[in-house]
Amino acid sequence: MSEAATGGLGLTTLTKRFGGFTAVDNVDLEIRRGEFLTLLGPSGSGKTTLLMMIAGFLDITEGDILLDGASIRDVPADKRNFGMVFQGYALFPHMTVRQNVGYALDVRGRPKAEIEARVDEMLELVQLSQFGQRKPGQLSGGQQQRVALARALVFAPPVLLLDEPLGALDKKLRVEVQDQLKDIHKRIGTTFIYVTHDQEEALSMSDRIVIMQNGRIEQLGTPTELYEKPRTRFAAGFLGKSNFLEMADGTHALRPEKIDIAPQGGLGGNARLSGTIRDITYFGAMKKYMVAVEGREDIEVGVDSWRNPHALHEGQSVELGWADHASIRLEEN
Amino acid sequence: MKPGLFDRLNRVGAWMVLLFLVLPALIAIPVSLTPKRFLSMPEGEYSLRHFRHLFTSPDWLSSFAQSGIIAASTAILATTLGTLCAIGLWRVTSRNTEIVRAFLLLPLIIPQIISAMVFYRLLVPMGLIDSYPGLILAHTVLATPLVLITVSASLANFDPRLEQASRNLGASNWTTMRRVILPSVKPGVYAGALFAFILSWDEIVVTLFISKFNVYTLPRRMWNGIRENTDPTVAAAAVVLIAITLIAFAISAVIARRRAQGAASKD
Repeated sequence: MSEAATGGLGLTTLTKRFGGFTAVDNVDLEIRRGEFLTLLGPSGSGKTTLLMMIAGFLDITEGDILLDGASIRDVPADKRNFGMVFQGYALFPHMTVRQNVGYALDVRGRPKAEIEARVDEMLELVQLSQFGQRKPGQLSGGQQQRVALARALVFAPPVLLLDEPLGALDKKLRVEVQDQLKDIHKRIGTTFIYVTHDQEEALSMSDRIVIMQNGRIEQLGTPTELYEKPRTRFAAGFLGKSNFLEMADGTHALRPEKIDIAPQGGLGGNARLSGTIRDITYFGAMKKYMVAVEGREDIEVGVDSWRNPHALHEGQSVELGWADHASIRLEEN
Repeated sequence: MKPGLFDRLNRVGAWMVLLFLVLPALIAIPVSLTPKRFLSMPEGEYSLRHFRHLFTSPDWLSSFAQSGIIAASTAILATTLGTLCAIGLWRVTSRNTEIVRAFLLLPLIIPQIISAMVFYRLLVPMGLIDSYPGLILAHTVLATPLVLITVSASLANFDPRLEQASRNLGASNWTTMRRVILPSVKPGVYAGALFAFILSWDEIVVTLFISKFNVYTLPRRMWNGIRENTDPTVAAAAVVLIAITLIAFAISAVIARRRAQGAASKD
């Protein structure tokens, strides 16, 4: 496996309009060589359109895409040399796993022996060596996903595009495949651009996350930066959960797990609000309290179940407190 | 649950319609077995003499061969054109594609007698009247829309992401078509080829207008056989024609079923 010497992408004032509708709106983004970058957003936020423009399947309305500094605006999709894992995998159903994986080398006219050796190597990477002669329809969803990955990586592309690649898998398998993807990314050093609407996926896998909304970049940063320092109400609400509090200097975001909860008088002098427990939900590791506070929206409090010293029950009066730096002031928008 | 009155009526009705559709064609079978020398129902006695005549007469055999050549050529040409056309219309997404598609289906909609006149007017100045190329050309025009329909139906189920995947992996448009799109729409291509073959194989209206002595297809010889001398060999030929058509459909049905089972067994 070669260390990718290329793979830095620059998007400059990138815009895509469909008739009167602007799907991607003036996006500037520097994607670093070898990083795992996630485009995160609800459906209709423009993340898939952005990916399709990078792949070369959609024309650019305005702006440009640079690969290692050179424009690829006019390079057709089949000449861009970007790997891609499609939503639903898009494996060729009439070809065997080996033929699927070897396809990119085959259409490049590489010698048979080289293709065979490379396919073996890729199947080993995704741990499917014994499934080479099967057809995609004879594999499970997780195995198909790995074939799609091997097929996209076989020609050692500088950039790998992934369009909601785990959407069709059940939750347990998804976590497993997330780990494998991270591991493979580390080993081959290719730039990964990953599209998803799943915030947990984005948090657990990415070097950096781009939160998108209405075709624009809402916020860009590492998972920690985005979770700890959301700039807007949308970013705070979309990545993780948040309570929103109106304070003297504006709206603040407050994560549920950063709030202390105790029976009346239990927080000593540190109580900031008091209310009544309206609902308790038990999640095993976590307990969620919904606390009704006079004159405000319900406040959600998350507590580690085992650390919860007070036996709180529905209808009980409680007080809430938090450290000064726990709440984040949001930008007005 | 006991089938209700409506269900029973429904079933009886279905059988009646089936008989109504099939019986006239099946009449050819007893007639072909008559020992007499004119078209008639056999009365107690049966004979294969008309089949013997059919398969020994140089005239009939030559007509079989001619029809076969024309139908096969038509099938190849119409399948090629119809498939390319269907893929082209599928790829170009514009408001005009539906207009073009409707236009291409015209040969199916226009009454055949009018097509026949048009072909006559066209082929005479081209010097193609009463020739293989003339007949193949005319039949191809009639058969191409059938292929367009069957291949378009296959393409409607084709996942466009497969095409994107192929392009993304470095395949040109042409390679993508040959290695990904065509294999995926194979059932539609085969069905279209079968329909095109059968259309040409039993085409009579246009054929009557544009052939004379040189080209003498099977339907044409049957037509003359009935008009001129009510020869029961015509019934024998009809039986063979029906049999060949049935066999062709049976083969395509078996292939389709095997394909469906193959797809089902994957899960």
